[in-house]
Amino acid sequence: MRIPVIGIGVISALGIGVEENLTALREGRTGIDRLTLFESIHNVPVGEVKYTSEKLKEILGLNKQDSYSRTALLGICAADLALRDAGLETSSARVGLISATSVGGMDLTENFYKDFLSDETKGRLRDVKSHDCADSTLQIARYCGIKGFTSTISTACSSAANAIMLGARMLESNMLDYVVVGGTDALCKFTLNGFRSLMILDSNRCRPFDETRAGLNLGEGAAYLVLCREELVMDNDPYCFLTGFANTNDAFHQTATSSDGEGATRSMRGALKKASLRPDEIGYINVHGTGTFNNDASEGAALKRVFTKDIPPFSSTKAFTGHTLAAAGGIEAVYAVLSLKHGLLYPNLNYVSSGDSELNPQSILKMSDRIDHVMSNSFGFGGNSSTLIFSK
Amino acid sequence: MQSYYINQAVCSDTLTRGLPELIPDAGMRRRMSKMVKMGVATGMSCFDSHFSADSVDAIITATGLGCLEDSEKFLRNLIENDEQLLNPTPFIQSTFNTVGAQIGLLCKNHSYNMTYAHRGRSFESALLDAILLLNDEDYKNILVGAIDYTIPQQLKIMERMGFWRTDKPGEGAFFFMVSSERTADTIAELKALEFPDAEIEKEELTKRYGVEKDSSAKLFYREYDTTGVYPTVSAASLYDALQEMKRNEVETIYLYNSFRNEYPSLITLGCI
Repeated sequence: MRIPVIGIGVISALGIGVEENLTALREGRTGIDRLTLFESIHNVPVGEVKYTSEKLKEILGLNKQDSYSRTALLGICAADLALRDAGLETSSARVGLISATSVGGMDLTENFYKDFLSDETKGRLRDVKSHDCADSTLQIARYCGIKGFTSTISTACSSAANAIMLGARMLESNMLDYVVVGGTDALCKFTLNGFRSLMILDSNRCRPFDETRAGLNLGEGAAYLVLCREELVMDNDPYCFLTGFANTNDAFHQTATSSDGEGATRSMRGALKKASLRPDEIGYINVHGTGTFNNDASEGAALKRVFTKDIPPFSSTKAFTGHTLAAAGGIEAVYAVLSLKHGLLYPNLNYVSSGDSELNPQSILKMSDRIDHVMSNSFGFGGNSSTLIFSK
Repeated sequence: MQSYYINQAVCSDTLTRGLPELIPDAGMRRRMSKMVKMGVATGMSCFDSHFSADSVDAIITATGLGCLEDSEKFLRNLIENDEQLLNPTPFIQSTFNTVGAQIGLLCKNHSYNMTYAHRGRSFESALLDAILLLNDEDYKNILVGAIDYTIPQQLKIMERMGFWRTDKPGEGAFFFMVSSERTADTIAELKALEFPDAEIEKEELTKRYGVEKDSSAKLFYREYDTTGVYPTVSAASLYDALQEMKRNEVETIYLYNSFRNEYPSLITLGCI
């Protein structure tokens, strides 16, 4: 199976569009900084998109009076960029959209609910109508003129990877000709406090795979890929091909991952099998690498099981963007595509020492002309484990 | 051509085993909100002595609004306690994939696990995913479920939005075993799942399928009188249609659903 990737679009703490993101990745410049989007008693660094929702509306040419959740605005921005990049006309019913989100319109619901709690007749209804996960997807479809099959996936932090997978499977089954796939999530008080209550937010910048790692930094953003059926690729020169994927479950704990990385092992092996690749053919792995003690230990154990002694160069880009939850699999898929295109191994920022784990991520930017296959991991609450493989 | 069969259909209102049997871990049960508890119990009740959880190759769930009780509780605590000393449990359980994940966890099932949350198309997306999986010979039995439960605050908000002027609220959990193999338990064949571009009138479907002249075929058209209206109500309709199928009086059922005049879907069921 080879599913061509013909367009990419991204918005993250590193900027709007592929160029801004790529420049920051090359320069080793993090997007993680102090929280400015909303008031919070928690003084933790975050990976904010550096534009207010009002400014995003302006950039997108949307009416300022109309209500859009930040999740929708981020999603519209990235999906529109991906479609422009692909040069794809969306009027056909054979162009679909599979989007992922975990917070939906929670940023607006939070405002509504404060007023509603004090008096049930209060709170602006337009701030709660975008609460569900489908809202951002429908707003993207409307803005981009997508008329084909549209759906929303919500499997926590593996969501966007699963959206990419479903889109690819619909193309394989000839149910669609083109599909826009990825995810979007905005920072909000709900998730910030949720991860805080779990005590897995680092009060400093996160350090994935470092022995002193003390948790994750939250981020926000959106990213989409445009995929098409292989027969239709014709004149478009695709970036690369999606060749492997797998979705498995760790079945260990609702939030923690198993010490032997069972779910991650199964998803990486499943994706390799689907792509008919040997482990030694993988040139780079963009790991999930949140920076929590538990995730990195579990993912590390899985890397050792799948790749034994010869683990390919790997790094987490979450010290650049923060953990963007349902968008992470999309943003990191775009980074995987760019890794193949430009022969780049991204640095795992803030990494100093592996300690006993002996898992040493790529710590400085490296150029390589030998990257033919890139693997991208995304794991989430509920044991959801997903792996994608992109190939030249 | 691959055929698809519905080999089990379970509804949260008619569970034959008690919650402690279906969810043996008391601590787990205590942490669960009503939606999660009923969803997990309904899903788990598809497994019994002659159909073990090991035989399931994928778990796919659908929910329009997710675990509202947990989301509301965490959001309320966060506002009322000014972000301090929050209990993480409602946050943990608030993710949309909680029911599917907990079923996977309870039966140690490492297979494909997916959750759709696309308003009136959540359940149909899950069903479509199951069909795509069954086209691959590695997959034989797929557990597909839909779960939506109301909370008082949501009912109030939707009342203010004017929802209950035309519809009445509803809720429930429904799980189905969709399989590529016909067994002694097979209730019906899932012959088609279609997504019309726009709402279709009842008269047009009646004429198209000739259901007035042909007593062996029946049309279920947005029959929400007993179910109420909610994003995954089409799962309740499918359950009702399958009960009709079990009576062996009709050969074909055409099941038409749409949620508030959007997301039309058409399912064709054939008798066995």
